[in-house]
Amino acid sequence: MRVALKYCGSCNPQVDLLKIGRRLAEVIARRSDLELSPVSASDIDFIVVLCGCPRACANRDEVKARAKRHLLISDESLGDMDALESTLLAAAQG
Amino acid sequence: MGMMTGQEYRASLRLVKPDVYFLGEKVKSVVDHPAFIPHVNAAALTYDSALAPEFEELASATSHLTGEKISRFTHIHHSHEDLIKKVKMLRAIGQQTGSCFQRCVGHDGLNSVYSVTYEIDKKKGTSYHERFLKLLREIQTRDLMVSGAMTDPKGDRALAPSKQQDPDAYLHVVQRKADGIVVRGAKAHITGAVNSHGHLVMPTASMTADDADYAVCFYVPVDAPGITHIFGRQTNDTRKCDCTLDQGNEEYGIVGGEALIVFDNVFVPWEQVFMCGEYEFAYPLVERFATAHRQNYGGCKTGLADALIGATYLLAEAQGAQGATHIREKLVDMVHLAETLYCGSIACSCQGYALPAGSYMADPLLANITKLNVTRNAYEIARLAQDVAGGVLATLPSETDWRDPRVGKYVDKYMKGATGVPTETRMRLIRLLEAMTCGTALAESMHGAGSPQAQRIMIWRQANLEHKKRLARKLAKIKE
Repeated sequence: MRVALKYCGSCNPQVDLLKIGRRLAEVIARRSDLELSPVSASDIDFIVVLCGCPRACANRDEVKARAKRHLLISDESLGDMDALESTLLAAAQG
Repeated sequence: MGMMTGQEYRASLRLVKPDVYFLGEKVKSVVDHPAFIPHVNAAALTYDSALAPEFEELASATSHLTGEKISRFTHIHHSHEDLIKKVKMLRAIGQQTGSCFQRCVGHDGLNSVYSVTYEIDKKKGTSYHERFLKLLREIQTRDLMVSGAMTDPKGDRALAPSKQQDPDAYLHVVQRKADGIVVRGAKAHITGAVNSHGHLVMPTASMTADDADYAVCFYVPVDAPGITHIFGRQTNDTRKCDCTLDQGNEEYGIVGGEALIVFDNVFVPWEQVFMCGEYEFAYPLVERFATAHRQNYGGCKTGLADALIGATYLLAEAQGAQGATHIREKLVDMVHLAETLYCGSIACSCQGYALPAGSYMADPLLANITKLNVTRNAYEIARLAQDVAGGVLATLPSETDWRDPRVGKYVDKYMKGATGVPTETRMRLIRLLEAMTCGTALAESMHGAGSPQAQRIMIWRQANLEHKKRLARKLAKIKE
């Protein structure tokens, strides 16, 4: 399954979104059934819309439409990497 | 040719040959000279950011002219979202550079000239807007970096441009020809001038009919014949040539890199002229540029403050002071001051509106309030950082002595702070704080985008004080 990470733009200093993104990319890389794709790819199965605050700048229809399914992350779950990892894997498989 | 990477931007600068002078030397290559490398690096990051997954949502946009993905720094705002995203982009990049990345000035110039040329044409039957669209398309397609060259040297501040003893105190048209105009004068304090591809030149003040020759707006490549750039000094700038650690922010420098641009009878073809004598449009252009640029300051300066607050906290830890109550209070105050600036920039973006050309501008009153707050809050944030840092900020021995085989051991021993923290860590943080708070960077917060008095004038014009008097009369039951 091809998974893409779409960032909101990463301006919120309260959240180290780049660190979170790197961690999620590592999770994807460890899994043989998942493959990290760029957002610009045409054949994405699953897109993770990673936003640093509830304003969720990347939560746009055209972004979500780039994949068959999507997962929006923009709330307090950003602070719990283990939960985030589980959510990602559950959503990717679901 | 589409969007450039940072490396492609550097390569593109090697293809232009501007006349640049610094410390009495004619500079052969801006990209390779230590005085300019940090500024080139900061500008290069704006290019990389537009392509980076982490930042592209803010740092890129879709051109309304071509439908193609472009750098936001060449985009014309067409919504509130565009205005807000500009502010967020500036904050996000500022967090990475800890210094000015220069490209917003030209961006604000493009947006201002876009809307004003449309209105000149409507009133005067000219074709400036169509010409400008051609240039804009080229800038977007080639991803060019454009400086916004507005501020004139101004000579005697009590006199209008046309009344100056030296007519060149304000840049002006000296000859109108069949194929273009010839201009003479200078533009001062121009950020990113030496590492841009071209200059967007705009008038600096409101004009009267007597000043018509000074009401001129145009674009020129940086290496057009007759243009000379004289790069300004910055605090500790020679450290760029003989130090690394002592620079504080070796990669991105302390400010944007400003230059005096001299125009000595420079020919500008009509295709690149966007105002020539329409003096009544000088003020709207200045007002729109100033609004756009003052909107920025609660974005980029807050990004810088994010890094500065982090450095202050780290230094407190490196000195074992992080547990003190007053340190926590000061850090909270720094966050409060920084986020207050951000509130202003977001607010003036949300209160922005559409112009006749279809582009959007921020609310002028709130944008000026934001910038006026920057002239105070940035100093207070720096004062608090210096307070936490301690006097060592002004007395730290040099990197050279720390590396010296004879005295280095003493510097290392006596400049050490908390247990377990290497002296080098403490020194690096002190130098970063010094770079961000002890010199040119602060003056930039005061006068960049216009001095405080310029904001006060705009606030006075925009505040509608007569309405406030009416409100008071009504409450106090006083008849009009």
